[in-house]
Amino acid sequence: MIRAWRSDALVGILPLAALVALWWGIVAAGLAPRALLPSPVAVFGRTLASVADPAFLLHAWATLSRLFAGFLVALVLGVGLGLAGATNRFVGGVLRPVVRILAPVPKIALYPAFVLSLGFGDASKIVLVVADALFPILLATYQGAARVEPKLVWSALAAGTSRRAAVWTVVLPATLPSILTGSRIGLVVACIVVFLAEMITSTDGLGYLLVRAARSFQTVEMFVPLIAISALGLALNGALAALRRRLLAGFPNED
Amino acid sequence: MAQAALIDPSHPPEQSTAPRPAAVEIAGVTKTFQRRTGGTHLALAPIDLAVADGEFVSILGPSGCGKSTLLYIVGGFVPPSTGAVTVGGRPVTGPGPDRGPVFQEFALFPWKTVLGNVAYGPRQAGASKADAETKARGLLARVGLSAYETFYPKELSGGMKQRVAIARTLAYDPAILLMDEPFGALDAHTRLKLQNDLLALWERDRKTVLFVTHAVDEAVYLSDRIVVMSRQPGRIKEIVPVDLPRPRHRDELLLDARYQRYVIDIERLIEDPPEEAGA
Ligand SMILES: Nc1ncnc2c1ncn2[C@@H]1O[C@H](COP(=O)(O)OP(=O)(O)OP(=O)(O)O)[C@@H](O)[C@H]1O
Ligand SMILES: [Mg+2]
Repeated sequence: MIRAWRSDALVGILPLAALVALWWGIVAAGLAPRALLPSPVAVFGRTLASVADPAFLLHAWATLSRLFAGFLVALVLGVGLGLAGATNRFVGGVLRPVVRILAPVPKIALYPAFVLSLGFGDASKIVLVVADALFPILLATYQGAARVEPKLVWSALAAGTSRRAAVWTVVLPATLPSILTGSRIGLVVACIVVFLAEMITSTDGLGYLLVRAARSFQTVEMFVPLIAISALGLALNGALAALRRRLLAGFPNED
Repeated sequence: MAQAALIDPSHPPEQSTAPRPAAVEIAGVTKTFQRRTGGTHLALAPIDLAVADGEFVSILGPSGCGKSTLLYIVGGFVPPSTGAVTVGGRPVTGPGPDRGPVFQEFALFPWKTVLGNVAYGPRQAGASKADAETKARGLLARVGLSAYETFYPKELSGGMKQRVAIARTLAYDPAILLMDEPFGALDAHTRLKLQNDLLALWERDRKTVLFVTHAVDEAVYLSDRIVVMSRQPGRIKEIVPVDLPRPRHRDELLLDARYQRYVIDIERLIEDPPEEAGA
């Protein structure tokens, strides 16, 4: 098990290493102007230095807190609405057309409206994250819940469970694999969109750092928030995968 | 392993002699399914059947004759198209803890351990976690799975899963068991073992059992009456009372000419194409 996992991790790191090597090669060969593409040594050096810088950490925290707040609201809403839509005919009837219309809308296009109504602060960014992370979670939950083996629910109803209680005690846990899959996508989307929102209007956060560096042509500084957000995404994804292994211990193995 | 029976030796079988009232009454039940392509499909022609309290009734018939559908209707999981089912005098409008299903596919909760699965019913009925688990442990001991309480269903063999499923159903003490080919997915050896366990359990508790099966010998071995169904539409072809003494022992029965006669006769009944049955 452990050995298999290790070799998996190794295989996962290889392309990353290859990418960095390519980057380093391009810079070393002088194929790209230094002002546009700084060397990976400089970039990683600056990133490491930033991690020790309290000002940088405050920016990272601003991004992380928005991401978390938005993702958690999206999770609760997405799971709640998805379950309700799949188990209640009326809710499902109302939800399906609404989702069909709203899901493909590029939420970032609504951001100016959010800023106008909610201001430049955290609220408008969090709402944007919710709007974008909601649909992958909602759709995955809905489809998972609609496909729960009816005999699981029957077994619960026969044991005297009410239909409402069966939603919580059977449909929800049976939908967990789908919910976690949707959450994984929602989390990636949340990372992207919180960064975008901070690039558009913000006075703090990783996205703001990138724009600030770009304005003054500090290319090395530009790469630092990028690396920080991808490291953040990687860490959150890893945490979610660990949670998945724990929560889905009894489910048939996938992948 | 011989001790790992569904019976608890501390409780002797309860004697029952007096005729009992009808536990399940199926009156004029039909089921029509809407076809995807437009038309309708009559799965069950009117079915009338009364099952006495404490009776063991098997339903035999070719694949697709509506055995499962009939059982689901009695369970209240699926509504009949016409007709009605009454249980203990009350019309069935939905599932209830007086009727405990056991499905061929086990339908165990994959996210719960063996103990959690069996404790589910008592827990839902309002028992504390500790009480529910005590009850579940007692049932797991009865089905011989005490050592497996922390396992997940996916870590069990088919026979073990079906024992857990039976224990989960017994945990809320239904008066009527609705078993849909419960041993159909099991190997011959496990199947015999579970048949014996079920018979011992039934002889002790005298629950009413509706038992769907494909196996004629299994039906004769276990049942008081056998309902033979035919297909297109699904209907009752014949009801055969099995007049063999109880308690039954498999090794004695196999030598019993009456048992052999039942098996042969019922196999013939099933083999007959329904068209020639002259319904
Ligand atoms: N949900 C459904 N929708 C449409 N048709 C159905 C549905 N369920 C069952 N049927 C039809 O009803 C008939 C009876 O099905 P059922 O599953 O009750 O048969 P069965 O006797 O249990 O068969 P088997 O022995 O193979 O389990 C079949 O012809 C089947 O096609
Ligand atoms: Mg069936």
